[in-house]
Amino acid sequence: MGRNLKWIGLGIVVLTTIISCKPKYEEPPISKGEIDPTRFVMLGGGHVAGYMNDGLYFEGQQNSLANIIAQQFATVGGGGFNQPMVDQSSIGISSNLLAPMKLGYKTDCKGVTSLSPIRIAAQGDLSIFNQNIYSTSALFGNYGIPGLKLSDVFSNSFAASNPFFGRIASSSTTRVIDDAFASQPTFFSLFLGLEEVLSYAKSGGKIDNMPSNSLFASDYEQVLQIATANGAKGVITTIPDVSEMPYFTTIPWNGLTLDAVNNTTLNAIYNPLGYYFQVGSNPFMIVDSTANDFAVRQILSNELLLLSLPLDSVKCNQMGVLFPIRDEFVLDTGELQYLRSVITGYNQVIRDLAAEYNLAVVSADEFSSKLKSGFVYNGVTMSSKFVSGGAYSLDGIHLNEKGNALLANEFIKSINQKYKSRIPLVNANAYNATFFP
Amino acid sequence: MKHFYLAFFSFIFNGLLFSQGFQVNFQGQKQQGMGCAGTALYQDGASLFYNPGSVAFSNESSINIATTPIFANVLYVDSATGLGYRTKNPVGTPFSAYGLFQTHKNAKLKLGLAAYTPFGSTVQWEDAWIGRFALTRLELKAIFIQPTISYRIADVIGIGAGFIVSTGNVNLQKDIPVQDSLGNYGHAELSGKAIGFGFNVGIHYDLNKKLSVGLTYRSKIGMDLKNSGSDTTSAIFTVPNSLAANFPNGRFSGSLPLPSVTTLGFAYKPTDKWQFVLDINYVGWKAYDTLAFDYDKNTTSLVDTKSPRNYKNIFAFRGGGQYKALSKLDLRIGGGFGFTPVPDASVTPETPDANRAYITGGISYRFTDKFSMDASIYYTQIKRTAQNMETNLYGTFQTKAIAPGFSLIYKW
Repeated sequence: MGRNLKWIGLGIVVLTTIISCKPKYEEPPISKGEIDPTRFVMLGGGHVAGYMNDGLYFEGQQNSLANIIAQQFATVGGGGFNQPMVDQSSIGISSNLLAPMKLGYKTDCKGVTSLSPIRIAAQGDLSIFNQNIYSTSALFGNYGIPGLKLSDVFSNSFAASNPFFGRIASSSTTRVIDDAFASQPTFFSLFLGLEEVLSYAKSGGKIDNMPSNSLFASDYEQVLQIATANGAKGVITTIPDVSEMPYFTTIPWNGLTLDAVNNTTLNAIYNPLGYYFQVGSNPFMIVDSTANDFAVRQILSNELLLLSLPLDSVKCNQMGVLFPIRDEFVLDTGELQYLRSVITGYNQVIRDLAAEYNLAVVSADEFSSKLKSGFVYNGVTMSSKFVSGGAYSLDGIHLNEKGNALLANEFIKSINQKYKSRIPLVNANAYNATFFP
Repeated sequence: MKHFYLAFFSFIFNGLLFSQGFQVNFQGQKQQGMGCAGTALYQDGASLFYNPGSVAFSNESSINIATTPIFANVLYVDSATGLGYRTKNPVGTPFSAYGLFQTHKNAKLKLGLAAYTPFGSTVQWEDAWIGRFALTRLELKAIFIQPTISYRIADVIGIGAGFIVSTGNVNLQKDIPVQDSLGNYGHAELSGKAIGFGFNVGIHYDLNKKLSVGLTYRSKIGMDLKNSGSDTTSAIFTVPNSLAANFPNGRFSGSLPLPSVTTLGFAYKPTDKWQFVLDINYVGWKAYDTLAFDYDKNTTSLVDTKSPRNYKNIFAFRGGGQYKALSKLDLRIGGGFGFTPVPDASVTPETPDANRAYITGGISYRFTDKFSMDASIYYTQIKRTAQNMETNLYGTFQTKAIAPGFSLIYKW
């Protein structure tokens, strides 16, 4: 009997050994390298704030570019990272006081229902702007402020003019630069220059407040002087070619579909001007004062239509056909050339300054181009296609949570390379993209 | 003017686990005890698998049933994040059954019937693992039935041939990177049943009293998953309602080649107590150059896929020894080494394959002249760091597998 028990005992031991025979997981080595992540501050626009789906709201902020980076800093000794959070129960608010967007069903002027971005409510949560949440005991690390241009950093009227800053400013006349660096950050990141080129592009090239290259350079250097005054290291970022964003690439230039009857009509109207149509897809007609006496021409294949284009007018009211599409909805060849040359100039400034100040630099422009051509990340095809590309939110300009995670990885890679740190990247597939109904 | 484009999510399924897994040769306990080798040595009914030619040297009728539960655990460590993920593998239980018959003692002709499961693995990755969009679960079951004839054409030469009918079941699952209104990811499940045919031929030659050689060829077997005859397939997609039209449930076809194996084996018996064996396998994995899935209903999201596999033909070396410790007891030890057929770029969560070395051991105990039992144990651990060219999953797969086996034999 005792002998049997011994055998049974041995059997159990052997069986347990066999079943529990697993490869051992060893934590990969991590280190902060040459950086001091104790107090991290990131300065930028909506892309830093966690603004997405055309709104600032709790989940977006939680998965902001700045916060994802800060969470990874925490693995190598980074301190707490305060964000000016919107209340979790709030629906959030957009720059133009609307509610954020979600993907839903929309019925167009022709009665066709299809998937489309829709606002989650009639109006944004205005109470967000009614309360100032600045606190000396918990200084913010995320100075991503939707709409923040480089020159705004030095403005003492910005708190009054931009409610996203107003709600977190230490006083109504404080400057962003003063508040952001009040905490004496030990590591900083700048993502500046994007909002000025965006505002030009979103206006269809109508409103140009982009500073000259030299002004941009001197403003940027001033920020760097302040940021590095206490010896802090940092990472700065180039500016993506915003015309690669889905806001500018979703509506096809040749989306004018004609049947035989309309084809005949349009040819009769436009042939005298030298424009020809065919049954099937055709270029839209756009306004161009230099084209001819009628200031109308066909859009070229390299020119871009903006997502702000009123599609119902296009579908039902001859916009882009008999009524040419207005300039505010178009980035034409000249505007695009100008926009891209400004971005190239700014990026040269940023790269030069990074070298001069011995800082890490993230090539957000290359990240954007990579998204444009598409790549596979851990089994998921990511691209800058609207909605289906998986990286941009429904506003077509700001990255979604997953896109932020992918971009945050670029920051971490750049920091690791420059400062010999070993900060782990994040699993971007653990972050949400657009939800489908 | 069309609605916003929603051209979705190319949909690709990757390879299958059976690479070297197929070649572990868990088809005979005595052979398993000696490093899974035994092409030039008649052992028992399991020689129907290892070399039908050797079977001609049997002088018995026998029935042999065996099972070898495989406890395999895989750990994947993602290079970028350092995060680790494990499989929760249900135990795989390959079995084999062999019947061997002769009409009278010392008959030159032997008849055999073999049933075995040359691969029967399940890989189930932990929930929400980093490669969930490449694979969440793979289940592969195949049963081979092989009626066999062996003939001793001379006192020292035996030949044999078997016809193989294989029936296989495949079930492949992964998540689809589309989220519903609650954030749940979509899911795809492809399953199919296939029948394939092949053959197994071998020759056994006793060079002298001590040394034998064997040569076998097991043909490639094409397992065609298709929607005809007895084969059925189904592709089932769970996606948000608004995308249901993009992922229509339906059927698909595909093909999984099981490669040919050519084996040259040696057996050496220096004394009455000792027996040594060596097998050299050449496996025709080059047959697996592409994995294609052809869906009956295609959409912009669900397109037919052709995934390059580019496997290479490989060699594997297996050997071991057997010691007759007592008149009723044999002890065995062995091991082997196989090159991986899987190029770096084709390493997938289904085939975390690598060059592998393994060790084995075994015992036999004869209760009576007619009734005996065998037991064996197999252990291997492998490690591979690679980046897959389709999914870009980049990390290190580590596998530990232990497989204890057991069989009962009755002969008359």
